[in-house]
Amino acid sequence: MALSIKEMRNKLDNDEIKSENLFEESVKKANYYQKEYNSFVTIVSDYKDYGQRETLLSGIPYALKDNISTKGILTTASSNILKNYVPVYDATIYKKLKESGAILVGKTVLDELAMGGTGTTGHTGIVRNPWNKERLIGGSSAGSAAAVALGIVPFAIGSDTGDSIRKPAAYGGVVGFKPTYGRISRYGLFAFASSLDHLGVFTRNVYDCAMVMNIIKGHDDNDMTSLPDDGKDYIASLERSVKGKKLFYIKEALDNSNKDLELGKILNNFEKVKEKCKKLGIEVFEESIDKDLLLALYPTYMSISCAEATSNDANLTGIHFGVRGEGNTPEEIIKDARTKGFSELIKRRFVLGSYILQKENQEKLFLNACRIRRIIVDKINKLFEKYDGIIMPAAAGIAPKFGESSDKLSDKYLILDNHLVIGNFGGYPSITIPSGFIDEMPVGVNITGRICEDDVVLNIAYQVEKSMEYANQVALGDDKNV
Amino acid sequence: MSKDILKMLANKMMFTMNEDEYDTLLEEFNIILKQMDLIGNIPNIEKIEPMTFPFPLENVSFREDCVVDELGVDDILLNSEDNLYNQVRLPKVVE
Amino acid sequence: MYKTVIGLEVHCELKSNSKNFSSAKNSYSTIPNSNVSVVDLGYPGILPVINKEAVKNSIKMALAMNCDIPDYLTFERKNYFYPDLPKGYQITQFKNPIGTNGYVMINVGGKEKKILIHDTHLEEDTASLDHYNTYSLIDYNRCGVPLLETVTEPCINSADEAVAFLEGLRSIFLYCDTSYARSDRGQIRCDVNVSLMKEEDTELGTKVEMKNINSFSSVKEAIICEVKRQTEILNSGGKVLQETRRFDESKGITYSMRSKEDAIDYKYFTDPNLPPIKLDKKWISELKESIPKLHNERFRTYTKDYSINEKDAYTIVRDKKISDYYEECIKLKGDPILVSNWLTGSVIGYLNKMSLTIEQIKLTPQMLVELINLISSGKISSKQGKTVLERTLETGKSPLIIVDELGISQIDNEEEIRKIVLEVISENESLVIDYKNGKRVFDYFIGQIMKKTKGRVNPSLASKILKEELEK
Repeated sequence: MALSIKEMRNKLDNDEIKSENLFEESVKKANYYQKEYNSFVTIVSDYKDYGQRETLLSGIPYALKDNISTKGILTTASSNILKNYVPVYDATIYKKLKESGAILVGKTVLDELAMGGTGTTGHTGIVRNPWNKERLIGGSSAGSAAAVALGIVPFAIGSDTGDSIRKPAAYGGVVGFKPTYGRISRYGLFAFASSLDHLGVFTRNVYDCAMVMNIIKGHDDNDMTSLPDDGKDYIASLERSVKGKKLFYIKEALDNSNKDLELGKILNNFEKVKEKCKKLGIEVFEESIDKDLLLALYPTYMSISCAEATSNDANLTGIHFGVRGEGNTPEEIIKDARTKGFSELIKRRFVLGSYILQKENQEKLFLNACRIRRIIVDKINKLFEKYDGIIMPAAAGIAPKFGESSDKLSDKYLILDNHLVIGNFGGYPSITIPSGFIDEMPVGVNITGRICEDDVVLNIAYQVEKSMEYANQVALGDDKNV
Repeated sequence: MSKDILKMLANKMMFTMNEDEYDTLLEEFNIILKQMDLIGNIPNIEKIEPMTFPFPLENVSFREDCVVDELGVDDILLNSEDNLYNQVRLPKVVE
Repeated sequence: MYKTVIGLEVHCELKSNSKNFSSAKNSYSTIPNSNVSVVDLGYPGILPVINKEAVKNSIKMALAMNCDIPDYLTFERKNYFYPDLPKGYQITQFKNPIGTNGYVMINVGGKEKKILIHDTHLEEDTASLDHYNTYSLIDYNRCGVPLLETVTEPCINSADEAVAFLEGLRSIFLYCDTSYARSDRGQIRCDVNVSLMKEEDTELGTKVEMKNINSFSSVKEAIICEVKRQTEILNSGGKVLQETRRFDESKGITYSMRSKEDAIDYKYFTDPNLPPIKLDKKWISELKESIPKLHNERFRTYTKDYSINEKDAYTIVRDKKISDYYEECIKLKGDPILVSNWLTGSVIGYLNKMSLTIEQIKLTPQMLVELINLISSGKISSKQGKTVLERTLETGKSPLIIVDELGISQIDNEEEIRKIVLEVISENESLVIDYKNGKRVFDYFIGQIMKKTKGRVNPSLASKILKEELEK
């Protein structure tokens, strides 16, 4: 039995269960599934009683992605160079959750330094998809997605720079939400690409997502890019009528002139979602966006994210934190630490990012990418004058098998597998919710809205979710061994 | 693009890779640079202001000049593997 | 002969309570790692938040250097690996400095010259490294301290001009109260670019950069020594290499650090954590108002309007506090030249002897003016004035009170003086005959009068009356 946050809240409030029992149950499940699925870098073993708090999250167990700073608790970003790093300060999101009385169960595995979308590059091994062990769950918030899909915790915090919450949510059959840029403070989130980095949340239903968001959102003086408080109650907004809302999908992204079998199934699933929308009174339109622009999404993302990452991760030298390298000069010890501390994939991205930022290439490779970013965002903002949001399949297929998808940049790629990055380019609130199954694997649909309209996106997602039957699903729901 | 340039780039990023890794990287570079060319295809791109922030942030304010957060020496040195006299030690820096 | 062309890059730490991007204390400390925050250490996940005071001080400096101020405050990252840079990048201003296109006037050998400022930009200082035999230790206290880098155009043509500019710049910092600017604490440091060209050349010669020179005297030596080296190279038909050299103060030579080929590509790009902040025009004009009259302007006033000699004027303007004190005296209607004489002479002498600052002494501008007025009105002699000054400095009592207490006010009552004169004459009748015979005994009489009155008699009156009586 995997309870939702709302269910746990009711039981706690009615004294049917104690927070301590919920925590023990979570830890037990975490340990039970750890060997097979590898969701966690660290499982917290001792229960910390924060006392009864008057918040909806008080006593609720949860997990944090291991790139979020937790004072006194190992935080590795799933990288060898940080395998011994114990932060001396708390991320704002962790502080808020602690203050709300939520109980941390563990720190989840990610793709090393949050770079990568497979969940296979963490220093403690690969994360497996709870719906099928032969498949990956996607990343980089792989462990958080898996922990929620497995029912270990009712919610987990992730980070999303390209699609790192919303893609694994789709592959794992759970809800994944990244709010407006600046809605949640980034203070304490290990930076990957600061201008694209967002914190967000995994849950098994949209209501739970709103419950968590109400606690973790808000302005933070430690983050100059954080937004002023919006003063909204996201839970209250869920029940509003969505009649008359207008959404669009991008025609070019759904092109299947090659008659790809799997894509066909995805499109079929999307048709069903569109019908549900229609029944709710949501109008869904087709819009066209220049294909060259859509093809540029991925290179633009690679350029900006790799460039920023080379700088953000330049603090990883092993000198005053992290694993110290060997050598006779400072340069030698830094080189040794970084050579041993980073995997091949990370090094490749750093070399790329460094090349892009070089004086002679910066104009063509970096600044042009930043220009494309603006063209795309301007285009979407223009469309948002007419529409309340975008609705699209979250991915071009089901979770790939290990080895099928690789983090080596592939020459051929699909627009449909990269459109979620639009949400990072423009900082839009963006949510993936489960929309059914294809070949016994979950798939999801994504809704992305205007900046600062987090409540609208949650509202639409909640109503669409209600019209389908995929809320609260748990992979291995019948596993009686736990 | 050549393997030597890649080696130089890696060296500037303060790490080394092994030979087959450079081969993979070279292959990858050729793909990514081809993809990057797509960016150049967009007409009149040079006239556009490069974007750093997802949207304009209004009313960003300064920090008032107050001393708030300081760490004790124990915390400063907690994650350093080589310390002496309350300081992080490293092989002599020759300027 | 070659023309020397020098450009300077001056780094100066700004005054503030907290650091540029963190809330750790900005303070010079000899205890390592005592003023450090997680932000300064560049731990994963930290974010910078810009300090209003640092921005304020940098705008004040930019205005004082006659620079243009941008509409928005923006920052870039300068990326490089070095053990004193924990984040692996320095936050600085590359595209849009806080001040551009300014100038500072200098005065060398009585000639004024305009030194053009390319830009001045706000950035953060690095950690400091303490070097030992086989290892170095890192002290993170300095890390993140607000730093203002001022870059001149290559328009300086001698070591003396360079030093005059540096002293002028330091003076602006001190007058604007934006920095302590102490070389001995490394709070002001300088990179020097030197090249040589023939008078008739239109293009600059190859420049050599010398980094991190701490004292102004070393800047002078380094320039002289580098000019000599480059001259020798050019004279022997060689070519100067573009490179970075280090000046060894103890040996008085420069040696190569790295060549142009090894120049670091800093890969500047906009810091995505620091969104642009619109600079309020009203605030900027308020800051402009708050800038006091600077040393140059005061120097001109003192020498031109008050006719004070350049040496004394320079002594006064060198320290803003002393200059403010001086101006306070002028406001109280003190005679500009007399105040200058007393201030640069006895008062500054006292400050030096006691190692005090002008703010620490008990003599107020009011008292100094009172003292000078007592002397000019003949109430006391200037010799007595010195005694009164000493007592005032010691006790803080006003000169009038001191004069009263000592009973040294001058005798300027003619009758009283005549009585004394007659007394002295009657005691020395033989000398009266000598006087009449043309012998030089007048001063002897004066001496006797002074002795009798313990020097309190008004000397000019005394000699007038003595003359009258002797010639009767």
